[in-house]
Amino acid sequence: MISDILINIIRFFLLIFLQVLVLDQLEISGPVNGYFNAYLYILFILMLPVNINKLFLLFLSFITGLTIDLFTGTPGMHAAASLVIAFLRPSFLHVIAPREGYESTVRLTMQGMGGSTFLVYAGVMTFVHHLFLLLIEAFNFLNFFDLLLRVLTCSVFTMVLIVMSQILSQRSKGGAES
Amino acid sequence: MRNFFLIIRKYNFFIAFLLLQGISMYLLVNNNSYQREVVVSFSNQITGQIYAAYADVTDYLTLGITNRLLAEENARLRKADSNSFYDKSFKLIKVNDTLYKQQYEYISARVINNSYTKVNNYLTLDAGKNKGIQRDMAVISSTGVVGIVNDVSEHFCTVISVLNSKTRISSMIKKNGYFGSTVWSGGSPQTGSLLDIPSHAKVAVGDTVVTTSFSLYPQNIMVGKVAEIGTSGESFKEIKVKLSTDFQNISYVYIVRNLLKTERDTLEAKLNANDQ
Repeated sequence: MISDILINIIRFFLLIFLQVLVLDQLEISGPVNGYFNAYLYILFILMLPVNINKLFLLFLSFITGLTIDLFTGTPGMHAAASLVIAFLRPSFLHVIAPREGYESTVRLTMQGMGGSTFLVYAGVMTFVHHLFLLLIEAFNFLNFFDLLLRVLTCSVFTMVLIVMSQILSQRSKGGAES
Repeated sequence: MRNFFLIIRKYNFFIAFLLLQGISMYLLVNNNSYQREVVVSFSNQITGQIYAAYADVTDYLTLGITNRLLAEENARLRKADSNSFYDKSFKLIKVNDTLYKQQYEYISARVINNSYTKVNNYLTLDAGKNKGIQRDMAVISSTGVVGIVNDVSEHFCTVISVLNSKTRISSMIKKNGYFGSTVWSGGSPQTGSLLDIPSHAKVAVGDTVVTTSFSLYPQNIMVGKVAEIGTSGESFKEIKVKLSTDFQNISYVYIVRNLLKTERDTLEAKLNANDQ
């Protein structure tokens, strides 16, 4: 249990640093600028324990989003989008769970949930998060289809990174831990 | 009981979500200039619509007065429309199809600023160079003289009101044609003075005073009615005139464009040059 908390804390800092120091520094200039921004930090919210207290889940997601906001100088933007997926996470997990539900020990990883279920879970969450994030950033419904295209391309980029991180952590730890 | 607590718990989750989302939105709108601008302009649009609706209602409530003024104006125009034409029927050979040549054009304008409590009062109208307004054009309303255009910008012009110490309107007693100058020297915005009417002229209280064509106004524009007759010096009367234009309630006016003004000015300038 202690190690579980420790792993989550380490993962929090690792993902925040990765997001702020690497992914946010990537700039693709030219007409595709803004189409390939990854927001990998949401992996922290996705991988929090399955039996976590729902209010605590909301609170942690808010803090995560706000931390990113502090670095990007956009107070409230990532916090709001992170809150949306934290709010949807319990219900969505309930929907995609096997008939008997998830045991409290199951890990929300590619290995723990099964590859296809994890892809659906992470994919939908990523899409919802990116949709809200870009909507709040644009703050209007003009050019909605252009925005939708950006949500799709960014989601694909984030998903690629999520899957890569899953495979990497599986290999490095021999699949014992996520 | 268990269900009850479950519901409460679910409800708590939603409340917590809304609360944190509210904090996020508060931070968002207060710290991000773009999002704040969107919110502010949206709320401005809402309040603007409310004000527009309010103006619609008040416009509707004053329809009665507007209607009456328009009806009076129509009557006046029907009676006097030949005034705005310059008769050139003495020509034996007809060059144009018409017997009359247009001399005056009227441009309607809205009063957007107006004063009547000072010694020198001005009005501002929402017509400017874009509507061909020039300095020294006469301004009249449906009830009588208003003033002379003073300054013109692209979309606005200022008008020296009749209620101004600089005002001198060449005017005459309509029934017998004795003429003098109408001035205003402070006091009530409803009363002016008609000077230089010779003391032998027959004038009665209630006589109509109109403009002559000597000044910038067209002829026969209503100035007011004689209210009180006194004397100044030996040979002149001093007549108080109740002005026909109500400067405390004026919203629409006409600016008069004299199409023959340049011709007349050039001719008269020649006269002045000869004198000097």
